[in-house]
Amino acid sequence: MTQPTANCPNCGAPITFRWSASVQTVCEYCKSILVRTDVDLKKVGQVADLPPNPSPIQIGTEGVYGHRAFVTIGRIVYEYDQGGWNEWHLMMNDGTSGWLSDAQDEYAVTFAAPGRKLPGECKIGQDYSWDNCTYTVSTITKAHYRGVEGELPFQYWDKSDVVFVDLMTSTGRFATIDYSDDEPVLYLGESVDFDNLKFKNLRSFEGWS
Amino acid sequence: MIRSMFLIYGLAVLAAVSLAEYRGWSLDRVDEVLNVPKSVRDNPGSYRSVYSSYHHYTGGK
Amino acid sequence: MSETGPAPSGKPQVRSSNCPSCGAALSLRSFGQAVTVVCQSCHSILDAQDPTLKILQTFQVAVGEDPPLIPLGTRGTIRGTTYEVVGFQRRTIRVEGIPYSWHEYVLFNPYKGFRYLTEYNGHWNDTSILRSIPAVSPGKSSLTYLGETYKQFQSANASTSFVLGEFPWQVRVGETADVCDYISPPRVISSEQTGKEVTWSMGEYIAGRDIWKAFKLSGDAPTPIGVYENQPSPMSEAVSATWRMVFVFAVALIVLMSVFYTFSRDEAAFEDGYTFDTNTTGEASFVTDIFELKGHTSDVVLTTTAELNNSWLYVNYALINQDTGHAYDFGREVSYYHGYDSDGFWSEGSTKDSVTVPSLPPGHYYLRIEPESDPHHGSIPYSVSLRRDVPQLSFFALGALGLLIPAIVLTWRSISFEHMRWAESDYGGAPDDGSLLSTVENAVDSVKDSMSGDDE
Repeated sequence: MTQPTANCPNCGAPITFRWSASVQTVCEYCKSILVRTDVDLKKVGQVADLPPNPSPIQIGTEGVYGHRAFVTIGRIVYEYDQGGWNEWHLMMNDGTSGWLSDAQDEYAVTFAAPGRKLPGECKIGQDYSWDNCTYTVSTITKAHYRGVEGELPFQYWDKSDVVFVDLMTSTGRFATIDYSDDEPVLYLGESVDFDNLKFKNLRSFEGWS
Repeated sequence: MIRSMFLIYGLAVLAAVSLAEYRGWSLDRVDEVLNVPKSVRDNPGSYRSVYSSYHHYTGGK
Repeated sequence: MSETGPAPSGKPQVRSSNCPSCGAALSLRSFGQAVTVVCQSCHSILDAQDPTLKILQTFQVAVGEDPPLIPLGTRGTIRGTTYEVVGFQRRTIRVEGIPYSWHEYVLFNPYKGFRYLTEYNGHWNDTSILRSIPAVSPGKSSLTYLGETYKQFQSANASTSFVLGEFPWQVRVGETADVCDYISPPRVISSEQTGKEVTWSMGEYIAGRDIWKAFKLSGDAPTPIGVYENQPSPMSEAVSATWRMVFVFAVALIVLMSVFYTFSRDEAAFEDGYTFDTNTTGEASFVTDIFELKGHTSDVVLTTTAELNNSWLYVNYALINQDTGHAYDFGREVSYYHGYDSDGFWSEGSTKDSVTVPSLPPGHYYLRIEPESDPHHGSIPYSVSLRRDVPQLSFFALGALGLLIPAIVLTWRSISFEHMRWAESDYGGAPDDGSLLSTVENAVDSVKDSMSGDDE
């Protein structure tokens, strides 16, 4: 695994990429959003103060999904009327990129699923079929982007309101359609139990062992 | 709990039925009489079961 | 994470604050997961995500509010995970105008998230949100989930009537949701619909005393009243197990019967014929010759056969052991009447009678016989026969009955329990699905209808 190092163009602090395919990262010291070009890093924005993270997961948390180990290397923070949630960027040990959605400690692991026909607009209760599985629209969330942290596989910052469509199945499989860009992106995966992810290097909470 | 209780109960029922059949119990109403003297064979009329109620048919059609 | 990075953000702390409305102290125990929090003093609902705790709603609490049975802040272990009670609400439905309320406790663990305990009339359920959608039948009368079928029990519109503590959603007093419960005891699956979104949750019945143990509460859990929708029947397991055992015992009984019928002697011990002259006066009693009863202690069947023609014969018997002087004393009647009337031939009675004399030890016996009949009615020929060691059907029949009775009682009690369960449902009784319970209920109803029909 290559670990290219560079320096933050804003404050000069050393930046390490854990994942060779990371496109964007955030400087831990000055919170500048940095995008990778061929040669060096370019600052494209600034992360405002993030709300305190209520999740037990943090950058650097390790775990296992199925047969693959992963490390959490980045996250996107969203807020909506029922609070906030994190989309953690997972680097799987085979080099692929996965996402762990963490909303009030309900966890789902999904992977980008390109090449499928996606609707322009969804209604709750509508069924869609991907990979021989029927997904039913369960929630349509209007959220707003709150911030980023760590390494991401694409450029993502300063989004205004975004729409996410969540779909559930009768077997625990789970899907999300991300409408934050011009082209909607589909993520397919499943709901997971905390215990099954065998987390290591979690945060600890005051009063809880 | 109920299972083991019923098991014991069922075995007890089977045991009771076996005992009744082997020993030849009866559901009919018969009276026991003790110490019938041997003299009854010579004088059957002298037999009066003083020890049990004497069944004498008093009804009739 | 680079080796020389800035210090990681500090350990999340329980946040203490003050209510912006009344100034009372507040603590937020869910580390930022809660969306709303309620001030215990002034009952203002505050925005837990807002650093200034903006006031979202205030509500008046009627006199006589019920405090949570598990105080906020108490920790308990459920399914191996420790949870803390952070929120409490009371929800109310109306059935035929009468309000029914239940309580929900919001449990929180910073790693595993939220769980809920519901309580109604002393019945508790451990509830969590489902991540899969159950498959609802077209008529909505049942659903399947993970291979199990759940029957629809009740639909109602529930409104929130009281809130306390922290909630991971925007709770408001007065908010309503359409709730539908499907049961498969000890589980229940509920759907909750507000607007277009449906949330599914599954509850598992848990006994009050297990809650008290888990949360180390003092005193006793409230006594449950009635039967709750998904309360497991204490009897249903036992009922099927008992009937299985009845079957096994019945087979054993049949085997026993064949053994006894095969190995009993069932042999003639004595037989003779007599004539009773009803015209004679004087002593009618006589004794028979001595005969032997063989084998182990067992029964003797004495059969009296009389040639009767519209008359009766009563015979006093004493079966006397010549050696011990021990005897059995009994009287038997034979009567037989017959004739012709407008309906044809009729007859009453029988010319034969049998009696079983119990537990006679082997030895030498004789009979003392004293016949009686109407005087001056001619002569009645009759015969007396004794069979030794005859198997009796009656004890096997009693045994079968003895085995059936507890099974029937247990089944009856189980049906009553289920009847009580379904009486609380939308249907007022078991759904008409061909189950034993619905068959019994339909039968009882039709009996009641025919009886009340007679009164009119």
